[in-house]
Amino acid sequence: MSANTDSLHHSHDPGLKHQYEDMAQQSETYLVGMWTFLVSEVMFFGALFFIYTLYRWNYQQDFYIAHEHLDVRMGAFNTTVLLFSSFTMVMAVQAAQLKKRMNVMGYLAVTVLCALTFLVVKFFEYSSKFADHLYPGVNFNTDAVKAFGEHALENGHVAVNMNHAQLFYGLYFGMTGLHAVHIIVGIGILISLIRLWFNKADSVIHDYVPTELVGLYWHFVDLVWIFLFPLFYLMPKPH
Amino acid sequence: MANAEAHSHEHHIVPTSTYIKTLLALFVLMVITVLVAGVNLPRIGFLSGTVVNQVIALAIALIKAFLVVTIFMGVKFGTKLIKLWASVGFIWVLLIFGILGDYTMRKYEPAPSWDSKADSALPRVTPEDPKMPDHNSTNVIIRQ
Amino acid sequence: MSSPTTAKAGLPPEQHEEVSYLNDGHTIASWLLTGDHKRIAMLYLISTTFFFFLGSVAAGLVRFELTSPAGVVLESETYNKVFSSHGVIMVFLFLVVAIPAIFGNFFIPLMIGARDLAFPRLNLASWYMYMTGGILIMIGFIAGGVDTGWTFYTPYSSMYSNTQVSLVLVGVFIGGFSSITTGVNFIATIHKMRAPGMTWFRLPLFVWAMYSTSLLLILGTPVVAITLLLVVFERLFKLPIFSPELGGDPVLFQHLFWFYSHPAVYIMILPAFGIISELIANFSRKRIFGYHFVAFSSIAIAGLGFLVWGHHMFISSQAMYESVVFSLISFLVAVPSAIKIFNWTTTIYKGNVVMAAPMVYAVGFLLIFTVGGLTGLFLGSIGTDVHLTATYFVVAHFHYVMVGGTMLAFLGGLHYWWPKMTGRMYSEGIAIANGILMFVGFNLTFFPQFILGWLGMPRRYHYYYFAPEFQAYHIMSTLGASVLGLGFAMPAFYLTYSLFKGPKAPANPWNAHGLEWETASPPPTTNFLEIPIVLDEVYDFDPASEHEQDMADLEASENKSGDKH
Repeated sequence: MSANTDSLHHSHDPGLKHQYEDMAQQSETYLVGMWTFLVSEVMFFGALFFIYTLYRWNYQQDFYIAHEHLDVRMGAFNTTVLLFSSFTMVMAVQAAQLKKRMNVMGYLAVTVLCALTFLVVKFFEYSSKFADHLYPGVNFNTDAVKAFGEHALENGHVAVNMNHAQLFYGLYFGMTGLHAVHIIVGIGILISLIRLWFNKADSVIHDYVPTELVGLYWHFVDLVWIFLFPLFYLMPKPH
Repeated sequence: MANAEAHSHEHHIVPTSTYIKTLLALFVLMVITVLVAGVNLPRIGFLSGTVVNQVIALAIALIKAFLVVTIFMGVKFGTKLIKLWASVGFIWVLLIFGILGDYTMRKYEPAPSWDSKADSALPRVTPEDPKMPDHNSTNVIIRQ
Repeated sequence: MSSPTTAKAGLPPEQHEEVSYLNDGHTIASWLLTGDHKRIAMLYLISTTFFFFLGSVAAGLVRFELTSPAGVVLESETYNKVFSSHGVIMVFLFLVVAIPAIFGNFFIPLMIGARDLAFPRLNLASWYMYMTGGILIMIGFIAGGVDTGWTFYTPYSSMYSNTQVSLVLVGVFIGGFSSITTGVNFIATIHKMRAPGMTWFRLPLFVWAMYSTSLLLILGTPVVAITLLLVVFERLFKLPIFSPELGGDPVLFQHLFWFYSHPAVYIMILPAFGIISELIANFSRKRIFGYHFVAFSSIAIAGLGFLVWGHHMFISSQAMYESVVFSLISFLVAVPSAIKIFNWTTTIYKGNVVMAAPMVYAVGFLLIFTVGGLTGLFLGSIGTDVHLTATYFVVAHFHYVMVGGTMLAFLGGLHYWWPKMTGRMYSEGIAIANGILMFVGFNLTFFPQFILGWLGMPRRYHYYYFAPEFQAYHIMSTLGASVLGLGFAMPAFYLTYSLFKGPKAPANPWNAHGLEWETASPPPTTNFLEIPIVLDEVYDFDPASEHEQDMADLEASENKSGDKH
């Protein structure tokens, strides 16, 4: 048997890396690699969601009262923005499939704008929490939580465990913070992708898959928020 | 293998209308979940109203996640391997939730003596100090 | 079949001496910015060896301290820091990384017939992440060290320890990303980069083992990464996740930590299984007995490995009933491990065994790993574990698996693939003698520790004046450690010597079977000039097929002579 002669011709495609035989192999490998990474990411956030579940299960009432400080309107607005950015991202991928370069860049730019909007809203949310001293530590504002507790549960006198309220804010900052880090990383990736499209780089214009990979990452970030939003902002009143 | 490669060349282009419908569905679900969270749902069988609320919120989040994964992330149009990989992550996370098994089978008492009155801590005797431990101090826990 | 079963891929040895990956670019930048999986593997080899040396020095200090019941040189605080550095370095910077990042990196593309790993730049990035993590950990050690042990149990690590826990944990966290990217790279490569004809069941068992390891890496590492990060957050920003003061549960840390760290011990041992499968099949000149069983037992170990974390927590506050379940599942892990041991011994049985240097290490592995695995059952059953937990019995058990298992397999693999990696042969006599020396030294070091543990010597103590009768065992162990240390040091010398003075290695010095032996030693930068087409089965040493071959040759010659008549 002779060796595979295809391998001698593999350098014709300008978007093809040297280790691959053809574009199909390259795209499939990219997708498998990205999904494998996302599995890893799912486990990363999965552990956090587990910790959250455990503590909320044990301290339901304290968590409910502590969560009253979060602004549902801001959370819902951010959810809308992220869902919309997922849509523009997927449209960018579709434009990449159709090789419409200007559309790709336009949709990607809108996605970046959405991401920035999300961060701005998040910044206001965080700063209002910091202004109210609602972060774990010796300065934790127990009075604010207590006041909300009395307001939230009509039967007036409630014993709110301030320690557990601190735990809630610890989880809130930890989980939304790590999510925000993912958003910031995503913005960096999106901007470099826009640059590649702007420069007509070989790596993106011949093949839609690199754009799709960024899309997968972005949808994953959206996915995490889809769970974070109801868990932190939409707690039912214990009844 | 060659077959699969030939197949993937003609990649599936999803029509814009599908994406718009998905986005609208996601928005509708989001509005529903916000509205439902404010209502105190009645008890259903052995599930208390709070649990019903939580189950519904979680179910809606799962539907939204399913839509994003299948349509936006293209798993619906992907290869079998992609479908497998997309499900592995979510299935494997359930293993972490297996840790909950421990907490259902024992009394949840993280360091009882930290509180000023240790109502649930059993009297424990340390080797150095055969007297009853002082519940106000913080260094008498012997985990055995 | 009468034709050669695999298409010849590399150039004949005399032609490509000039174009191997080693001399393709001589600048430091050509090494530090390379995308070549073989060069990255060599970078890993050098850096892991360096960290291994540091970890060994710490181990030596620990053993020296214990020669006297009252301790010798170290203060109790210093002793805590020394054994913690030993654990952290050996686990996070050597055992988890070494075999996948060195041999996996180097040989997965060669074994499956690819030009490189799927993502070469990611591969290089993973080395930089590893080095960043390693350097941060080293800075932490220099700036004061950690005294928590490698397990970083809360609340000690999060609330009390006044040492460099945060810095070291950030180092471990960054190093964890190196593991994840390596796992992603391997999985994508094994799925999509196999040469034509290289089906899943023609993959060498080392590749199967690396695939299982990669699954563990991508599924387990993120969990420990986030757990350790939360400890850092707790130390720095007072996020009270594991803080019992504010209603957090410190035992939750143990759950999450062992959710990764039990699979992590399989991350350390599965690659060793892969190497041993290669060595045993190739030096018994026989197709491995029960190929499918060995391959799937790796996957089974990877799967079951995620269900047994609780057996590290029998004496924590874990629920009794949960402990029972974990104990039962732990026994199940013995099944796939035993399948491997039985299949290896059956492969050796009536095999045409060649006692070359790598095989000596493999046989040592079999003997030592069996002891290590069986003592694991003692620790997996709750009753005996309550007696043995946190004694030297545990120390001896995991050193039998990690040092006697993984390290011997590592050295076996190093001796097996050294000619391929460097193109030089080493002195086999010295290598065999060193293998025997290590076997003796190892058992002398750790067997007394089983007895010590059984008698009640607690681990992590720097004195034992309460039981001076332990001294004999401790001295025996320390003597053994000196022998073992010599055994680890010797390869550094004779292998380095072979680099300069060793005879040039042929493409296939062991008459082994596998694609990596069909290219030159050392391989050219693109591994194969042309991608090979695989036509034969894996480990095709079957005497029956050789017989067929002879018969075919005979028939051919008879036909020829028939034509003449």
